[in-house]
Amino acid sequence: MTTDVASVGPAPRPVRRGLAHRLGPLPWVAPAALAILFVFAYSMFELARQSFQYEDAWVGFENFSLVLSDPLFRTAIWHNTLLLLAVPVLVLLALLVAVMLFETRRGIVAYRAILFLPYILPIPVIGVVFGQLLQLNGALNGTLDGLGLGSLTHDWLGNPQLALWTMGGVIVWKEVGFGIVLFLARMMSLPEDVYESAKLDGAGFFRMHWHVTIPQMRPLVIFYVISEAIVMVSWVFNYVFVMTNGQGGPGTSTVVTELYIYRTAFQDQAPELASAAAVLLFLSTLVLIVGFFRVQRADGGTFGD
Amino acid sequence: MLTHRLGVASRHVVLITLCVVALGPGYLMVTGSLKSQSDFLDHPWALPGNPSLGAYRTTFNDQFTQWLLNSVLVTFSAVLMTMVIAALAAWGLVNWPFRGRDTVLGITVSLMVVPPVVLLMPLFQVGAELGWISTYRIVILVYVGLMLPFSIYLLANFFRTIPASLLEAAALDGASPFQVFRRIVLPLSGAPVATLVVVNLLWAWNELLLALVFLQTDEKKTLMVGITGFQSRYSLDIPTVMAGMVVATLPLAAAYMFGQRYFIRGLTAGGLKGE
Amino acid sequence: MNARRSVAAALSAAALLATAACGGGSSDEQRPANAASPQSFPTEDVTLTMWWWGEQEAPGAKQWLADTVKAYEAKHSNITIKTVLQTTDGLIPSFEAAAAAEQGPDIEYFWGGIYSQQPYWSDSIVPVSDYIPADELSHYTNAALEDTYDGRTLTAPWYVNPQFPVLARTDVLDEHGLQVPTTWDELLNVCDVLSAGGVTTLAGGVKDGWFGGWLYSMLGAQSVASKDDVTAAVRGDQSFADPNHAEWWTRLEETREHGCWNDDINSLELYQAQQRWVDGDAAMTITAGTDAPNFVEKVGADKVTVTTMPTWGDGAYAGKMGTTSQTVGITSWSKYPQVAADFIMFMHTPDRLQAWYDQTGSLPADDRFDMSKVDDPVKKQLFAYAADGAPYLENFIPSALDGKAVFAGVQLVLQGSKSGEEAAADMQAEAERLRRTDRSLVDNFEGWTD
Repeated sequence: MTTDVASVGPAPRPVRRGLAHRLGPLPWVAPAALAILFVFAYSMFELARQSFQYEDAWVGFENFSLVLSDPLFRTAIWHNTLLLLAVPVLVLLALLVAVMLFETRRGIVAYRAILFLPYILPIPVIGVVFGQLLQLNGALNGTLDGLGLGSLTHDWLGNPQLALWTMGGVIVWKEVGFGIVLFLARMMSLPEDVYESAKLDGAGFFRMHWHVTIPQMRPLVIFYVISEAIVMVSWVFNYVFVMTNGQGGPGTSTVVTELYIYRTAFQDQAPELASAAAVLLFLSTLVLIVGFFRVQRADGGTFGD
Repeated sequence: MLTHRLGVASRHVVLITLCVVALGPGYLMVTGSLKSQSDFLDHPWALPGNPSLGAYRTTFNDQFTQWLLNSVLVTFSAVLMTMVIAALAAWGLVNWPFRGRDTVLGITVSLMVVPPVVLLMPLFQVGAELGWISTYRIVILVYVGLMLPFSIYLLANFFRTIPASLLEAAALDGASPFQVFRRIVLPLSGAPVATLVVVNLLWAWNELLLALVFLQTDEKKTLMVGITGFQSRYSLDIPTVMAGMVVATLPLAAAYMFGQRYFIRGLTAGGLKGE
Repeated sequence: MNARRSVAAALSAAALLATAACGGGSSDEQRPANAASPQSFPTEDVTLTMWWWGEQEAPGAKQWLADTVKAYEAKHSNITIKTVLQTTDGLIPSFEAAAAAEQGPDIEYFWGGIYSQQPYWSDSIVPVSDYIPADELSHYTNAALEDTYDGRTLTAPWYVNPQFPVLARTDVLDEHGLQVPTTWDELLNVCDVLSAGGVTTLAGGVKDGWFGGWLYSMLGAQSVASKDDVTAAVRGDQSFADPNHAEWWTRLEETREHGCWNDDINSLELYQAQQRWVDGDAAMTITAGTDAPNFVEKVGADKVTVTTMPTWGDGAYAGKMGTTSQTVGITSWSKYPQVAADFIMFMHTPDRLQAWYDQTGSLPADDRFDMSKVDDPVKKQLFAYAADGAPYLENFIPSALDGKAVFAGVQLVLQGSKSGEEAAADMQAEAERLRRTDRSLVDNFEGWTD
């Protein structure tokens, strides 16, 4: 593991020194260490062990090669990769709406509250409501027909070419409110004089936001990108599960890696393959996160200036 | 500026359109719960012509109240513990730059990306070993463990931006590390704390997979597990399912309505400005 | 219904983790030896726990079970039996959790076939034949067919499910001058006529997958010589791409080409789709056997014909309905397996069998039940189909193959993005893969089906 990826940079000067200093962090860190060890240490060890075993016998990399040779696993990984495309969409949309709200001010409280609402809806609600909404003869297509946009109707979740994009759309719908609120809050706490001087310079919309707003928001944008990227890769299970009744269908069109692991372990009763797949997912997400931190390292803290 | 290009009116049109999109599914859910099945299927968007609360009667005859209380208990304990433990750990890690600290942080951060689904099996094994299946403590503990890496990452990242001068001044005044933490560090941390509380609260409240597997008795189920079963029991009765979904959503919606001021204030006012 | 509720079953799979957590050892040496001799009946106070399911598909079962326990306790004053009705979602998860902790029920409810085999393969149950005499077990419907491994009967059938009746609305068919189709060509003709008139012939939903398994069992059964063909294909002695295993996929493709299904079959769950039939928007649908009388009642018995899947093949099972029994088993950690077995036998006494039919309207899994007492024509017909039923194929393939190849394949074939031939090739590839990944699969299936 690269140790510098998560480096938090130079710390403030220590408050105390000496032996007390060296033991100092212990009581602060111990509770977290215990909880994390309880949840992760044994589990990760077990996962790693199981991924090299079959019925308690060592089999080397056999499980890994079985998983890697499964077309469904490769499909699942590919679907996660495609879902990552929703991240830039989320960021752009959230930034754009936040800027609009920031400049509008009037009604900002109501708009903000409403746009945040999807983010607090429980996942099973998403499954039920969108399940109805997106049926071929459901409310969305009915509306499109009613608006004379019949050519835009689709079998949103029933068409294998479309289902993953529909899924991405629903995720964006639910997650974008969080970004809007975060970005807007940051904009509103930016010092006014920054904008004043920019305006005096006669900066246009794009120039001003490009040169003033965006740089100020950069750490926060990176934070949002990281957390949404994690959603697309490691936490997307719930969405797929509730919207496809746990099938990842039609066919394999919405199978993601987590679902693959889940079904391999609990449906197909192949825990050793699930473990191998989990290790592979962990390693690939690690690469992702290392990449992000390399970018972030150059920047300041997430919420700082 | 955008203002000039779009004009105030069209800007509001865009925003209102977005709000309609954001509210649409929720509207379907609420009105659907008040309609008859055929009404819903024929005119999904129409207002309920003859609103009926019948679906809610079925809902409350189920065990919603119990599930709700369970969810509140599990969510609040887990989030509270997470916040306290994460804040302590993040400050501990940032304030004492011991050797290997970055390794520890690196490992912690990398745990953020571990999908809960891969931990389910070994964790269940541990839970069964301890005889903790169908107890709140196992669920709370696992939630805390899963929320910690992200929380520590976010807080540590923030804490290191606090100017050393502030802390040194306090230390010179003879404040203990804990006093420094409580009087100076925490009051400055509104933004990350508010963000974390919201993110963690929503995550724990909505968590389904672990709760489903760990809480197997009816009286221990959380709301998400409960409504999942409820939905499968009444899957053909759309108004009842929708009513159940409304009931499951209300607590968070209410909490948000009351809490958003603090959340927003935390986000905007907590950060350090104009260093 | 046979727990084919989407969330339910998928979630129940979640808790199969317990099996995994146990290490899932399933080689023969690890199995408990055949019980040497039936243990003597205890005289001390004994409390047994029974976890069960079935009220959901056979309403009235709960009352019947309470009565049965009461009668049994009256006979044996030192025995107390606690029954816990599980939710559809909770049945398998809670049992798997119990298995991991080796504590919980003494008597547990299992669906038939693969569902009664797998708990035995993972050592969670002891064969009921260790405690129930063979001549008694010989009366239990489908025990030998579905629930036997290597000469041992694993679980004891309780009641029978006819799987699956095709319900046809004669009112809708009459309107278009059509008869209830019995052959494949007739079915396709009905589809052509009705789809031209904008009416759905068959209402179905495959979003939740399960209906794929139903269709496999109803269509795929028509070209195999026996269920042994299917298990042979699982073991690798035949191929799922062979014509006798593969041709039903092409038939399925034909139903799509002839517009038999509702156009939104891929975005509907099965139960949502069945509602279309009740509403009169479709001529035919397919329901769980125990639920069929309720559907018939909703529409009116005079307007409904209960029949089997139209036939296209000439296999022994063509034109027959499948039959499967829901069962109860004795857990490997139960301290009083002999009492559990005694109670199970009590469930099969003549008085209890009759009471079961009276209270639930479904068929007890015992050939000593007096069929002459059944007078409702719909039930009579369903029971007759079940009595002459074919093995229910889906219960004879690994659930992994069912989910990965059948469910997904049916979705894609009905959607039109995969041909029947491709789906068959996929199923064969998946079976081959499964044999590589589940190294005990072939052994387990050999022990089961030889």
